[in-house]
Amino acid sequence: MTDPALIEGIIRILLVCVIITAAYIISTRNLLSLVSVYSLQSVTLACLALALYFLESSPVLLAIAVVTFLSKALIIPYFIATIQEKVRIKRDIEFHFLSPTSSLILSMALMLIVYMALGRILEGTPVRENLFFFGAVLGISLMLMGMMVMLSRKRAITKVLGFLSMENGVLLFGMFVTELPFIIEFLIIIDLIILVLLTTILTVGIDSTLEDYQKRLHRFHLWQGSEERP
Amino acid sequence: MILLAYILIALLALAVIGFGTTHRWMNGACVAHAFLYIVLTLYILFFQQIPVASFLIGSQYFFMDYFGLYEVLIAAVIFTCAAVYAGGYVESLLVSGELEKGSLKLFYASWAMLLLVLALAFFCDNLALFWICAELTTILSAMLVAILSARENIDAAIKYIFIASASMLFSFVGLIFLFETSRTILGTGTLNWTVLMQHAASFPPEMLVAAFSLVFIGFAAKSGIFPFHTWLPEAHAKAPSAVSALLSAVLLNVGIYGILRVYAIAHQTPAAAAIAPLLGLFGFFTVAIAAFSMLPQKNLKKLIAFSSIENMGIILIGIAVSTPLAIFWVLFQIMAHSLTKASLFFSAGILHRQYRSRLSTDAVDDIRDVFRLQPLAAWGIIIGGLAITGMPLFPIFFSKLFILLSVGTVSLPALFILLSLLFIAAAALGYFVITAFSRTTEPGTLSDIEPYQTPLTMKIPLIFLIGCIIFLGIVFTHGELSFLDRIVQELRF
Repeated sequence: MTDPALIEGIIRILLVCVIITAAYIISTRNLLSLVSVYSLQSVTLACLALALYFLESSPVLLAIAVVTFLSKALIIPYFIATIQEKVRIKRDIEFHFLSPTSSLILSMALMLIVYMALGRILEGTPVRENLFFFGAVLGISLMLMGMMVMLSRKRAITKVLGFLSMENGVLLFGMFVTELPFIIEFLIIIDLIILVLLTTILTVGIDSTLEDYQKRLHRFHLWQGSEERP
Repeated sequence: MILLAYILIALLALAVIGFGTTHRWMNGACVAHAFLYIVLTLYILFFQQIPVASFLIGSQYFFMDYFGLYEVLIAAVIFTCAAVYAGGYVESLLVSGELEKGSLKLFYASWAMLLLVLALAFFCDNLALFWICAELTTILSAMLVAILSARENIDAAIKYIFIASASMLFSFVGLIFLFETSRTILGTGTLNWTVLMQHAASFPPEMLVAAFSLVFIGFAAKSGIFPFHTWLPEAHAKAPSAVSALLSAVLLNVGIYGILRVYAIAHQTPAAAAIAPLLGLFGFFTVAIAAFSMLPQKNLKKLIAFSSIENMGIILIGIAVSTPLAIFWVLFQIMAHSLTKASLFFSAGILHRQYRSRLSTDAVDDIRDVFRLQPLAAWGIIIGGLAITGMPLFPIFFSKLFILLSVGTVSLPALFILLSLLFIAAAALGYFVITAFSRTTEPGTLSDIEPYQTPLTMKIPLIFLIGCIIFLGIVFTHGELSFLDRIVQELRF
């Protein structure tokens, strides 16, 4: 049943899907669909890990697929979506230095650069030859595209998604280039969950339109006046 | 297995914080926690065979060598002082309403967790594990910055997390490179520093340059190296002063520690020739940016924060020179900077409490009548300022002198540029102190400033640290020197 050629074909298709999701994350203004696209991207990554498992049959990849699916496709998106409802912002229209079109063009250029640079660095290692090289290039590109999202978006919550997409890129790169011990991968996920928890909670403070939070912040600005207790 | 003792102490402290009902209990737990770490580290130093290897989960993930113990010792001393200081400082934050009572548990829990994670980070043999611990220190310390829940604090914390974590991802890619290199050369991939050091000479230099450059991005961001330093002044200035001291005196060391470890691997190969100029260049830019940002600075805590950036730049330049002498004094500089900077932030914290009502964190410091109101803090700033600029008889004088001399052996113009930059930084600090401290109200007019009653717990750590600095600058014990020598040997410079 596991015909390597078929699986390689599937991997190629999945890699293309990853790039499409990345392009969508860069360009969209709708916050709610951002989260679901991120979730979709994570599912694609989990599928990739699964496909690689059929190709290489190392149990670590299976574990990565499961953990990625649970944490990044379910827990984190669910959490961010809850926070978004609290914050009550639906759209992130403001962009910093880059408009979506120019960032798309830029990311294409980045991919080309990454391809050339990695080709030189990985020359002579077994990775250089095939599909795996392609996966590594896309991993780094995804990471840089995530960074572009972090740079060009104004809302902190979109920045969080950019960071998460960066992290997906690292995972992709790691999956294709080498085989890290599972405990490391697992700890990274834990680290990621804590980070997302903290940043999104803090984000409520910045992005919030909630009145009580505003009030709370207000108190600190007013506190100079109300301080005149003996 | 002695590592478990560290974890156990931390868990005990966390339990006390969790069940404690009063501020005094929680604070006491943190003080005891850090103090026990000092005792434990000293015990290992004197009574154990170093390096201590502890086998966990089938592979050697942790180990204790002189370098790790050195960093943990510095961290534990600073944490002890800062925890004592926090006793008074946090109390006054509570009174003024800047910190809510409900956040108190979270504050001290993150504090204790931070110390535990730091100790684990310095004891990591596996570089990927070190990376994870370093990430956790970012998150926990950002929590301590954001705890005041004023909007500007949250802004600073988020900026800190984003810049540090995004850069750390690059580091991780670098570590994957390193892992892949070791897999092609050794057969089985490993990220254990001890193993990598043994086989470093056989690694291909091009791969190492690529790996190091990527790893450098993340750890540079953690230690506030240009161009990733932008988070540092804001986070340091807006955090409660006890936390600022930790950020500057301990957390910046994590980045430098990582850079030194990975550079030690690259140093065994010809790759070092390509990397050293890079490090030097970044070091120079860092010192230059810091020095010129210090000049127009009107806010005391920001000024001190920029001085931290300057010191990290000097350390980086010292690493770039990478002679045993330079590395020796880099290690000394790490310790001297930590102690001095902590004392400066303690003094700045007292002044911040004194003048707080007129002083939002971004505003110009309106310091006046300082010798009448807060003589101890004023003298703390003066002595600390003299020490940090590297005046003779203070420890930083020696480290700066020898790092400068080592730079001189490589290139004289570089020495000249560095000296003038250091002069600018010192002048900026001096100018600020002279103008701020000589400001007084007219003798006839009634001063409306009430003196802030500095609690004893805030004074003692400050006096202790100043005592330490003076002692370290005057007395060089044989044990101290051979300790540093051993670290240089461990890193194989």
